[in-house]
Amino acid sequence: MEKPRFVLVAGHVAWSALRRLAVLAVLLGVVFAAVELLPGDAASSTSERGESAADLAARRTALGLDRPLAERFWDWMTALPTGDLGTSARGEPVTRLLAGPFPNTLLLGSLALAVSVAGALALGSWAALRPGGRADRVIGVVATMAFALPEFVVAIALLLVLSLWLGWLPAVTLIGADGAPASPGMLLLPLLALAIPQIGWNTRIVRAALADQAALPHVSAAILDGLPRHRILTHHLLPGALPAVAVGVATSAGMLLGGAVVVETLFNYPGVGAVLAGAIADRDTPVVAGVVAATGSAISVVLLLADLVRARSVGVRL
Amino acid sequence: MITRRQLLWTGAGIGLAGVLAACGSGGQTGPAAVSASGSAVEQPRTGGTLRVGALGRASAVTRDPHGTQTNESDYLIISLLYDTLTVPGETTNTAPRLAGAWKASEDLKTWRFTIADGAAFHDGTPVTAEDVVWSLKRLRATPAGASRLPGIQPSGISAEDAKTVVLVSDYPNADLPLLTRLTTFVLKKDTKDDALATAPGTGPFKLDWFRDGNARLVRNDNWYGGKVYLDAIEVRIFESPQAMANALLAGQIDVASNVGAVAARTAKSRSDIQILRRPNDMAMPIVMRTADGPFTDPKVREALRLAVDRDAMVKQVLSGYGTVANDVLGTGDPAYAKDLPQRTRDIAKAKSLLAEAGFDLSKTYDLITTEDISGLAESATLFATQVREAGVKINVVKQDSAVFWDKTWLKAPLYTTYWGTNDSVVFFASKTMLSDAGQNEAAWKEPAFDEAYREAMATADAAKRSEALRKLQQIEYEKSGYLLWGMADGIDLAGGAVRGLPKLPGYGRVQLEKTWLAR
Repeated sequence: MEKPRFVLVAGHVAWSALRRLAVLAVLLGVVFAAVELLPGDAASSTSERGESAADLAARRTALGLDRPLAERFWDWMTALPTGDLGTSARGEPVTRLLAGPFPNTLLLGSLALAVSVAGALALGSWAALRPGGRADRVIGVVATMAFALPEFVVAIALLLVLSLWLGWLPAVTLIGADGAPASPGMLLLPLLALAIPQIGWNTRIVRAALADQAALPHVSAAILDGLPRHRILTHHLLPGALPAVAVGVATSAGMLLGGAVVVETLFNYPGVGAVLAGAIADRDTPVVAGVVAATGSAISVVLLLADLVRARSVGVRL
Repeated sequence: MITRRQLLWTGAGIGLAGVLAACGSGGQTGPAAVSASGSAVEQPRTGGTLRVGALGRASAVTRDPHGTQTNESDYLIISLLYDTLTVPGETTNTAPRLAGAWKASEDLKTWRFTIADGAAFHDGTPVTAEDVVWSLKRLRATPAGASRLPGIQPSGISAEDAKTVVLVSDYPNADLPLLTRLTTFVLKKDTKDDALATAPGTGPFKLDWFRDGNARLVRNDNWYGGKVYLDAIEVRIFESPQAMANALLAGQIDVASNVGAVAARTAKSRSDIQILRRPNDMAMPIVMRTADGPFTDPKVREALRLAVDRDAMVKQVLSGYGTVANDVLGTGDPAYAKDLPQRTRDIAKAKSLLAEAGFDLSKTYDLITTEDISGLAESATLFATQVREAGVKINVVKQDSAVFWDKTWLKAPLYTTYWGTNDSVVFFASKTMLSDAGQNEAAWKEPAFDEAYREAMATADAAKRSEALRKLQQIEYEKSGYLLWGMADGIDLAGGAVRGLPKLPGYGRVQLEKTWLAR
C-alpha cells in the first residue's frame, strides 16, 4: 500500500514542477514582450550624450536589438539551461550582475519568510486557543492593521524610531568585501519591514484555519476528553490547518519579493530589487529576465513545497 | 513601478523631513563652528578612513575608465584610482595632473603635454608617453570618442619622446587642455578589457577591493601629486539620496556626496552635520528651439526670458540652494561675463515683445520635461505658471527618461535639459551652440556666434581672448535658444570631523586627495 502512494506523490510533485516551469517560461516571454512595449530601447537608454545617430545604430546592432523579438527570446531561453543569462546592455554578464545581489535577496527573503511563519503560527495559535477573548480580539485587529500597511510605511516608521531616534540599529545596509551585509544587525530593519505585514496576513490565515479545525467533531471530542491545550493544538488542530497555512505562506513568498524592491531601496539593501528597477529603466531585457528567472525559480520552489504539504495532508486527487 | 517609487520618495521625504525637524534640534553638540572655515586654520592630520556615499545604480556599474559612467560612485572610484591629464582647478579652469605642463604651437593646433615628474603606476612602473597615447586612442575609439576629444583624430595622438605626448587638433583650439579634464584617464599600454578590474592606475589611491559598485581604496604613498592624508577611502554606492542621507545621519558614512537640497533641509537642524554647498553645480535650462516652430522669433524667446521669475524659481525649485543665472551657460568659469545686465522679470515688456512678434497666445504650448534629476519637472511646472501672467499658456508634459532622450531632446520646440558638468563657457559653446555642434539643443545657427568662437579659439593673447569670449557671451545672452534661470548648488553632507572637501562644482567633487579627518 505504501509504494503506490509514494509514487503518486512523486508523480504529483513532478507534474506540478513541470507546470511551474511552464508558467515561468510563459512569464519570461511576457517579460520580453513587456520590455519591448516600453518606449525607448536599451541602446538609447544606456547611451551617452554626444553619441551620434550612427553610433546609436551601431550599438543597436551590437546589442542585437535589430533582430526580431522572438529570435532574441529563443536565444536567451535556449541558453538558460546552461546557466547563461545573457549580457547586459552595458556589457556585463547578467550572472555576474546577480552574483552578489541575488543571494542577498534570497537571504533577506527567506529570513523574512521564516520570521513571518513563526510569528504568525505563534500569534494565530495564541488567539485561536482563546476564541473571543481579549487577546484574540487584539491580535485580530493588530494583524489586520499590520497587513493593511504598505511596506514603506512600516519601513519608515521603523527607521525613524529604531535607527534615527534611538540609534539602536544601522539605518542602511553596507556591504563588505565579500558582497554580503557587513554586520548581521544591518539585516534587522529590512527584515522587520518585510515581515511585519506578512505576519499580519498569515496570522489571520492561521487563526481562521484553526477555527475551522476547532469546529470539527474530533477536536470537540479531544476537548471533552480534557486533553491539555497545547496537545490539542499540536495534535488535533495544526495538522488539519496545515494545508491552508501552506497556501498562505506560499502567497507571502510572492508578496515578500514584491515588497523587497521597495524595502531594499529604502535601506540600501544590496539585493535584486535595485538591479531590477535600474534594468527596467534601461530597457535591459536580459537583466530584467534574469532577475525574473532567478526570483521566479525561488518562488516556484516555495510554491512546490506548499503543494507537497497539501498533497501529503489531504492526499492526492488525480 | 515608477509611480510606486515616486510615491515612496515623496512619502519618505515628507515623513523624514518633518519628523527630523521636530526631533533633531535637541541633543548632539557638535563642532558646528568648524565647518567651512575650519580647514584654513587647522593643520591637516594624516590617517583615518573616510567613508563616502555616492549615488549609483547597481545595474549600471562599470569599471571601464573610458566607458559610459552614469554612476557617480563609479566615477568617484575611477577618479581616485586613475589620473586624467588635467583636472578642473579652483582659480583656473584647467590645472595640471598627470600632465605637469603643456605648450601650444604658434597656430594653436599642436599641443605638447609633458608627463609630470615621478608619475608612476601603482605597481611602480613609470608612466610613459606610450601609455598616455594608447589610453587616449582607446578613449577616442569609444562610441562617444569624437565628442570626448573634439577635433582630435586618432592619428593626431602621438608620442614625441618618453615624456611628451602630442595632440594635433583639426582647428586652432586655445582651450584644448580643458578638453583633457575629466575623461582622459590613463591606463597602462595594452591593458586588456578583461583585466580592467585590476589594472593599476596612477592616482592618489590604490584599489584594495571592489564589490558591486562599492570599493575600499588605500593611500598611494608614492603619489607624484603631493601628500595624501587619508589612510583609506571606502566608497559606498547608494540607489537613493534619501538612504544616503539616512546613512550619514546615523553615522554610517562620513560624507554623502551630491546628496541634494532635500537632504540638506533635513540635516539643517543637526549641528553635528556640515552642509557643504558647491555653487554653479547644475544647469537646468529651458530650451527654446530656434530653427523652426513657435519660438523661432528672437523676440518671443526674449519675452519668455523676461516672463520668468528667477528668484522664485531658485527659492521654490531649489529650496534656495542655488543662484539666479542670466541665460549664459558656464557660470562657474572665471571667463564668465558677470557684467552683462542681469535679466529680471518684466511682464509688461514681455507682453509687448510677444505682441510685436505676433505670437499666438490662443494656443497652448507643450513644455516637455523628465524626472531625471530632482527639481527638473518642478522647474517646468513653476515656469508654466509664471509665464501664464504674460499670457503664454504652457502645458507641462512629463516624459519617461528613455523616451525623452530618444524623441524629444534636440528635436522638440520647448523642453527642459540639464548639464551636471558645469563646464566652461567654451565647453557649452562648442558642445551645444555652434551651428554644427552635435548636441545643439536649440538647433541654433548664428554665424556671428560661430565667428566669435573661432576668434576666441585662435587667439593666444589672454586679453584679446577674453574680449572675444565676452563678445561670444553677449551674442549668446541676446539670441540663443536657452533660458537659464538659475544654477543649482551641489550639496554634500559631511560629519563634523571631515576637512578639506572639494568646493568645485560638477565633477570637481571627486577630488578627495586633500581631504583629511580631524579625529
